[in-house]
Amino acid sequence: MFRSRSWFGASWGRPKNPHSLERLKYLHNILCKNTTVSESNRGTLVESLRCIAEILIWGDQNDSSVFDFFLEKNMLSYFLKIMRQKCGGSSYVCVQLLQTLNILFENIRNETSLYYLLSNNHVNSIIVHKFDFSDEEVMAYYISFLKTLSLKLNNHTIHFFYNEHTKDFPLYTEAIKFFNHSESMVRIAVRTLTLNVYRVQDASMLRFIRDRTAAPYFSNLVWFIGKHILELDACVRNDAENSFSSHQSQQKLDDLVAEHLDHLHYINDILCLNIPDLNDVLTEHLLHKLLVPLYIYSLTSESVRRLQSSSPYNRDHIQSIEAITRNLEAILKGKNAESPSRMSFPRQRMESEDESKPSVSCVVSLFLLSQVFLIITHGPIVHALAWIILQSDLSVFEDGATKILEMYISNAKSNVKLEFSKPQLSLEKALENTSSERDYTTPEYGGPKPFGYDTDHSSCDLDPELVSTSLPSTSHISESSSIDHDSTEDLVTQINPAKSSSSGTLKANMPDSPLPDSGIESSSSKTNEYNNITDEEKQKLLGVAPSTSAEDRRSATLDSIIERESKEIEKRPFLKTILDSLDCSENDYKALFALCLLFALINNKGVNTELLDTLLCPEEEITSGTHEASGVATTAASGDTMSPPPKHPLQSFNALLISKLMAIANLSCKPASKVRLVTLELSVTLMRVAMCGAGGGASARHAPAADALRARAAALARNFYKCDDIFLDMFEDEYCETSKRPLNVEWLCMDAAILLPPTRTPMSGIAFAKRLPSGEMERARRAIRTFFLIRDLYLKLTGKPETQLPLTNPVPFVQVGDVLDLNDSDLISCDIIQKDGTWQHRFLAVDNIQIILVEPDKQRLGWGVAKLVGSLQDLEIQGDKEDPRCLHLTIHKPRVGASGALPRTVLLRAKFKFDDHIRSMAAKQRLTKGRTKSRQKKMQQIGRLLEVSGMCAPSMAPRHRPLFARPALATVRRSTGGEDDTDRRLRRPSGHMLKDGIVVYRERTTSRESSVSRSSSAHGSREGSPRSRSEEIPMEDIKRNAVPSSLAAPPVVPQSQASTSSTLLKPSNSSEETSFMSSEPSRPKRIKGLVETI
Amino acid sequence: MAYAYLFKYIIIGDTGVGKSCLLLQFTDKRFQPVHDLTIGVEFGARMITIDGKQIKLQIWDTAGQEAFRSITRSYYRGAAGALLVYDITRRDTFNHLTTWLEDARQHSNSNMVIMLIGNKSDLESRREVKKEEGEAFAREHGLVFMETSAKTAANVEEAFINTAKEIYEKIQEGVFDINNEANGIKIGPQHSTAGGASGAGGAGAGGAAGGGCC
Repeated sequence: MFRSRSWFGASWGRPKNPHSLERLKYLHNILCKNTTVSESNRGTLVESLRCIAEILIWGDQNDSSVFDFFLEKNMLSYFLKIMRQKCGGSSYVCVQLLQTLNILFENIRNETSLYYLLSNNHVNSIIVHKFDFSDEEVMAYYISFLKTLSLKLNNHTIHFFYNEHTKDFPLYTEAIKFFNHSESMVRIAVRTLTLNVYRVQDASMLRFIRDRTAAPYFSNLVWFIGKHILELDACVRNDAENSFSSHQSQQKLDDLVAEHLDHLHYINDILCLNIPDLNDVLTEHLLHKLLVPLYIYSLTSESVRRLQSSSPYNRDHIQSIEAITRNLEAILKGKNAESPSRMSFPRQRMESEDESKPSVSCVVSLFLLSQVFLIITHGPIVHALAWIILQSDLSVFEDGATKILEMYISNAKSNVKLEFSKPQLSLEKALENTSSERDYTTPEYGGPKPFGYDTDHSSCDLDPELVSTSLPSTSHISESSSIDHDSTEDLVTQINPAKSSSSGTLKANMPDSPLPDSGIESSSSKTNEYNNITDEEKQKLLGVAPSTSAEDRRSATLDSIIERESKEIEKRPFLKTILDSLDCSENDYKALFALCLLFALINNKGVNTELLDTLLCPEEEITSGTHEASGVATTAASGDTMSPPPKHPLQSFNALLISKLMAIANLSCKPASKVRLVTLELSVTLMRVAMCGAGGGASARHAPAADALRARAAALARNFYKCDDIFLDMFEDEYCETSKRPLNVEWLCMDAAILLPPTRTPMSGIAFAKRLPSGEMERARRAIRTFFLIRDLYLKLTGKPETQLPLTNPVPFVQVGDVLDLNDSDLISCDIIQKDGTWQHRFLAVDNIQIILVEPDKQRLGWGVAKLVGSLQDLEIQGDKEDPRCLHLTIHKPRVGASGALPRTVLLRAKFKFDDHIRSMAAKQRLTKGRTKSRQKKMQQIGRLLEVSGMCAPSMAPRHRPLFARPALATVRRSTGGEDDTDRRLRRPSGHMLKDGIVVYRERTTSRESSVSRSSSAHGSREGSPRSRSEEIPMEDIKRNAVPSSLAAPPVVPQSQASTSSTLLKPSNSSEETSFMSSEPSRPKRIKGLVETI
Repeated sequence: MAYAYLFKYIIIGDTGVGKSCLLLQFTDKRFQPVHDLTIGVEFGARMITIDGKQIKLQIWDTAGQEAFRSITRSYYRGAAGALLVYDITRRDTFNHLTTWLEDARQHSNSNMVIMLIGNKSDLESRREVKKEEGEAFAREHGLVFMETSAKTAANVEEAFINTAKEIYEKIQEGVFDINNEANGIKIGPQHSTAGGASGAGGAGAGGAAGGGCC
C-alpha cells in the first residue's frame, strides 16, 4: 500500500527495474524538481531518499556506474539542502535521511566509493547540523550514524573527518557532547565512538584530541562519575538507616554499582589503548578530581565524625588530616604552574563549593576503591593511589612537602585543582571555546581529495617527536619512549634515584625525602628489571640473616613490633582507616570492604611490589635506615654494592595487618560470630599472602598461631559433631562447595548486595557465604566451612600436604568393568527386578564402602565382573511387605571429588529378589551394617579431623584384617614390570585388597594396556592430582597427628624418605590396604564385625 | 509517535550471520529482499501491537564493538531482549553460541529475554546445523528458538514479535521493574491505545508512514 501511494510523481514514467542507473537518474530528477520540502511532497522525498540508499548499495555491489552518477550529480548536497529547510527538518524526513546515510556507510564495501562519499565534506556538514535531538528517534538514528562512521575510521579516512589545518574534528566533538545523555544506548554509542577514534593511530589527530578536547571531556566525564557515586552513597546510607525497609533499594543499588563498573571499564579501555598523552590527561583528571578528593578523602571522614560526637579522639589528628589533604593537593597540583597551560579554557575557583566538600561513607569509598584496583591496571593511576593509601604520612607531609613540591615543579603542567567539583564550563561550551570557527567551505575541503592525499602523513604511528612537540617540556623525550611523558611518571623518574643518573646528589640533597625511592615506578619493563634485582637481594637477605638469634628476637619482640606499628599507623591516616575497618567486633560490614581493597591492591599488576612491602614484608626484612628498632641484619645488604641504592626505611605494617586478620579469624571461630564466611575466606586468603611475606619462605614462624587457630576452628565445628546422618552429608557437601568454588573477588565486588548491611535471613536471596547463618543447620554449615578454610590455611602455611580430605579416597574404589577375584568371598545370588519389569541375575558383594553387583567372568572360574558399583553410605534399604524374599534398594553413585557437590545421582532403584527369606535377611543385615559402618568410619575420620576426644590418637595397627586375605594370589597374573613395579609389589599386593578378601584386579574388558600399567595409571588419573604414592603419605600424617602441636615435626618429608619408612613398617601389616583408611584406631570389636556368614 | 512501552533489543552473534540484515528486514519492510542485494543496518525501530497496545521496538546491533569490554558490558545491561543469531550454514557460528550466551548471562539483567535464531534458513542445501540441534540448544538453555531467513523474510516478523510478547508477559507478571530504564524498558509518553495504523505494515523510519498518508 505504501509503495503505490508514495509514487507521487508517477507521471515521470519511472523505469520498471528498481535497481538500475535509470532508476537513480529518475530519482535525481525528483530531487531536482522538489528542492523545497512541503507538506505535499514529503512522502515522495522520503521514498526517494530510501530508494537512493537501496540503489546505491546495489550499485556498489553490482554496477559501478551508479555510484559515478551519484557523485557526478553531487547528490549528497541535496540531502543537506533538504535537511536545512525548516519544513524539511521535521523529524520524519530527517529520520529517513539519517537512515539512508546509515545504510550507505554501513553497507558500502568498495573503498573507492567510500572515499568519494566522504571527500566533499558534506558528511561533516551533516554531522554538525543541529537536528531536533529532543526527538528520541532522531537522536537514536543520529548517534547510530556517528557510530557507524567511527567504525569506518582508519589512517586514511581519518583525514576526511579531522581537518588538521582548521583544527576541526566534528565527528568527535559533536559526539562527545552526548556523553551524558539520559538514554543509555546513546551514551554507549558515544563511548564506542570515542574508543574507535582513539584507536586510530594518527599523531596529529591525537594531538588535537589531547590539546583541545581531552581536558574538558575528561573533567566532565569524571564529574559525571562522581555524581553517580554520590547517588550510590545516598542509596546506601538511606538503606542503612531504614533498617526496616532494608534491602528495598537493591535494584537501584545494582544499577548504580553496574554503572560505576561500566565507567571504570570504559576508562580502563581508554588507558589500555596506551596513548601516552591521552592517558596523561585522563590520569590527571581521575586522580585530581575524583579518586583522591572523593574516594580517598572519604577514608578520613570517619575520624571527623568521631570528633563531632565529641569523643576524646585526638583533635590534632583531625587537623592534620586536613593538613594532609591540603598538602596532597599542593603536591598533586604542582605549586607554581608556570609552564604554559594546555587547556585554553578558563578555570575559576568556585569558592562556594569549598564549604561543603562532598564525601561518601567509608564503606562506599572502600568498595569503590576495591573496584578501581580490580579493574584499572594503568601504572600511574594505581600506583599513585596505592602510594597515597599506604605511604602518605602526617609528619612526612608536614616536613617534606616543600621538597616534593620542588620535584614537582618541573612537571607542573597541571592546573587541575585537587577537588571534586563541577567543571566550570559545560562540555559544550568548553568545546566551543577550544575549536576555532568552523568553516566548511574552506578550499581545503572544496573538492574531492585524491587518495594519495595523505601519503606523507600516513605513516602515522605515534612518533614521539611529533606527539611531544606541544608538550611544555621536551627534555625527556629523547631518552625514553613517549610513555614517559606521563605526568606521574615523570615525577617518578625524577624522584627515583635508582633511575636517575644523579641519584647520589639527589639523595644527599634530601635526606629525609618523604617519598621512598622504592616508591613510584611504573614503566613496566623497568619495573621488572628493578624488581628482579630486589627480589634477588631479598633472597640473599633471607639467606644471610643469622637464624637463631634473630628467631629468638623475633618471637620476643613480636608484641613490641605490633605495638610500634600501631603507633606508627597513627601517622598514616588512610592506611589506618583501612586497618581500623578490619575490626569485626560489632559486625564485619566494613571489614569485608577493607579486605576487598587490600586484596585488590595486593593483586594489582600496576602496583609496584616494593610498595606492597609496606603490607607484606615483615618488618625485620625491610632494609632499614633510620629506624633503629628495625635495624636487624640489614647493614650487610646495604653494604653490598648491588645496583639498587641504599634504601629508605619503609615502615612495615605487616605484623599489624596479620594481627588484625588473625583477630577476624579468631572471631569467626566463636559460636555467635558476626563474621560472614566470605569475610573469613578473604581474610584467610590475605593472611596467607601476608604471612608468606615478600620473600616467600618466612611463613614457618606463623605456624604456631595458625595451628592454634585450627584448633579453635575444630572446637567450633566439634559443637555440631553428632552421629546423625545429616552431619556427615553436610560435612561432605560443604567440603565439595569449598573446594569447588574458590572465592572470586572481582565477582564479589560486582555484587551490590554486599553494600547492604549484613543480613541473616535466606529470604533476602543473598548467597549463604555473604550473609550470616540462619538457624542451627546453617550454623553447623558455617562452622564446618570455617574449619575447612582455616585448616587449609594451616596446611598451606606449614607446607603439609592434604591427606585427610576428601573423606572418601577414590583410589581403592572398584569401578564398573573391574574384574574381581571373588574366590571364597561372600556372595549372595539375587535377581534384580526393575520397575519396568526388566530382570537381571547378579551376585551381590559388599566391601568397606561399596555395594558391588557382579556377573560371573566367563573366562575364569571364581572371578566376576563388576556391573554396578554404588556407595554403601547412601544406600537405602527397605524390606518388602508382601514377599519376605525381596528387598527394595536404592543405590546412589559414589561421591568422589567435585561430583559430590552435585545432587546425588540414583544409579539403580529396584527390587532385589533372593533365593529364600534367609538369604534376603542376611543381605539386609549385611547391607545395613555396611551402611552403618561406612558412615561410622567417616564419622571417625571427621572425629579425628576435629580432634573429638577419644579419636585423636590414631594407631598404626590395621583396623580390619581381611578374613580371606590372599596376598599371594594377587601377584599371580602380574607381569613383572620395571623396577618401580617390583618395589610396589614388595610393599603391597598389586590388587586392592578389599573387605572379605575381594581382590580387585584391574583388568577392564576394554583395557588395551597390560593390566599392571592400567592399575597404576588408574590411580593417578582418577585422583585428579598426581599422587602416585598416596599410600605412603597418610602414614606420615599419622605420625604427625599423633603430636599435632609439636613444632619439631619435620616441615616436609621428602617422598623417598616417606616411602622407605613405610616399607620398613610393612612386614607388620603386609596385607594391609595402605590407604588412609587404615589409620583408624584398632578396635577388636570392629574386626569381629567383619566376619559375616550366611 | 505515542507508544505504551519501548523495548530495547540487542542482536548478538558472530560476524556474518546476517544480524544487520535481519534488523533491516524487520524494521523497514519497504526494503524488500532481492536476491542480488545484501543490505543491513545497525539500528532500527518499529512499532508493533501486542494486546492492543502500541509497543515500540528499538533494536541496536552490537557489531564491531567486541574489542572493548566496557561496551559489550553496557550493551547487554541496557537491553530487555536479545536475539542470539547463528548461521545454519556455518557450524562454527553455532559452536560459539555458548560463549555468547555466557557473556549475555553474565552482563545482562537476569530478566532479559533471549531468543535463539538460526538464520539463513533459505539455504537449505548448504545447511550444516540441523534444526533439531538448535531446538536442543534452546531447550537446554531455556531460550525460545526459531529459524529465520532475512532473504525470504520467513519468520523474521515472528522472531522479533514473539520476543516482545515474552517481555510483555514478564511486565504483566511484574517481573520487570518498568520504572527502571536500565532494564531496557521505557514507558511511553502516554498510554494511548488508539491508532494501530502501523501495525503489521508499519514502516521503520517512523515518520515515513505518516508521509505516506499525505
